Amino acid sequence: MASSGDEDQVPPGDPVTVSTLVIDAGTKIMQRRLPVKQMNTHVSTFAIYGGDMSRQIETHHYIHRVNDEFLQCAVFASDHSDAPLIGIEYVISDRLYENLPQDEQKLWHSHAYEVKSGSWAYPRLPEVVASPELKNIAKTYGKFWCTWQIDRGDKLPMGAPELMMSPQGVGQGVLRPELVKRRDEKYNISTDELKQRRAEIAEPEWINPMADYWKQHGKCFVLDIVTVEMNRNEKFP
Amino acid sequence: MEKADHLSMKDEPEVQGEPTKTAVHLSTKDRPKVPGEPTKTGTSMVDTAAAAVQSFAPLNQIHQHLCAFHFYAYDMTRQVEAHHFCSHINEDMRQCLIYDGPDPNARLIGLEYMVTEKLFMTLPDDEKKLWHTHEWEVKGGFLFMPGVPEVMQRQDLEKVAKTYGKVFHFWQVELGHELPIGLPNLMMAVTRDGQLYPEMIKETEKQFGISIEKERESRAYMKGPEHGIHPLANGGGKGLKLELREVDIKPVESVPRVFV
Repeated sequence: MASSGDEDQVPPGDPVTVSTLVIDAGTKIMQRRLPVKQMNTHVSTFAIYGGDMSRQIETHHYIHRVNDEFLQCAVFASDHSDAPLIGIEYVISDRLYENLPQDEQKLWHSHAYEVKSGSWAYPRLPEVVASPELKNIAKTYGKFWCTWQIDRGDKLPMGAPELMMSPQGVGQGVLRPELVKRRDEKYNISTDELKQRRAEIAEPEWINPMADYWKQHGKCFVLDIVTVEMNRNEKFP
Repeated sequence: MEKADHLSMKDEPEVQGEPTKTAVHLSTKDRPKVPGEPTKTGTSMVDTAAAAVQSFAPLNQIHQHLCAFHFYAYDMTRQVEAHHFCSHINEDMRQCLIYDGPDPNARLIGLEYMVTEKLFMTLPDDEKKLWHTHEWEVKGGFLFMPGVPEVMQRQDLEKVAKTYGKVFHFWQVELGHELPIGLPNLMMAVTRDGQLYPEMIKETEKQFGISIEKERESRAYMKGPEHGIHPLANGGGKGLKLELREVDIKPVESVPRVFV
């Protein structure tokens, strides 16, 4: 499970029944699930809550490359078959990022440090194979909304989504060593070694200061749920 | 149905969060195209290698494709056809990735959690209002599984009709956004007739070869939540919106750290 080490069942609920298993097996055969089949890369990395940067989690991104400048990722708390789905991250090229309005740019984080420091890893994939892609990712920006805060003990998804930050080499962006160590042991990798091997990956010439907004501005963002008049064309509910 | 009811996304002006007065929804043909260079051979080779050696256990659990409609929790007039790809995390909970279409390059626009009434009842009251009911979505015939015989669908939808769902969308494709900009939006689902755009429904029926009216009759026997629809669910009848607030980050000294 994410980072809490909590052995309690998340979420609560009964085991899947036989009748459900039968239906699920049937629909799995009959339905094509085409978009899901496009996710063909697994990345193990970490993220930090914007609303409270003392909280860091391990994440598992399953990535669908829509094109060379845009990735869409389903983010899970682990790589187990019953892993909670904890959010969605979008990844865009520096070119697309620079075209965004400034207010939008504030919501994105950079990936250069995450790659160079060895946090961003492809379990079971040889580093030499991943290398060309790592060079691309180092220049990208991500926007990650987390919808299930398992690390704080939420048995079910609660509240509003949280905007997540990427690991950085300074201040609140520095990852807890034990969090990294646990990941490394699980996949038999060494983040330190990855860091050394990635030394030759070029730092981006320019990381937009609107990204990782907290670093320059000491501020982060949270979402409030507010009650408003609903614009409607019929009664609700 | 008059074509004039449809908004071509190219002509749709940018709506900056204000409620709209006109119909906003997408037919599949109008969906915005994601900008970006096509995938280069070098990168696609990384993908191929990764797909061969990595494990995808959470994705392998995704067994089901549900199609339904969502509207914004603060603006019913903005409606989206939503393709759910779901896994059972246990008997009482499903989690779904939501795409704007069934095709390989569909946009991943959001996610939904579905829980049984039993789990829903354990939620604090403030949380309950973020969840919507599925009773009329199912019984009304709006929620369906493309490619699955109706008889088999019903075996599962009997269960779905009793559940509650919580949906966030992160990409406002119906506004023509080429990239997922802006804030997340809480979404709701249909609870009575007259809410969804008839022309949008017709198009979906045509595309997937279904009849909502006919299926509705076959589902008449189904029942919603045992204790009835909870009054706090569905926003408690109020509109709900997410707003961004800037907060100070805590100084690093106050962050507890364990150095090994």
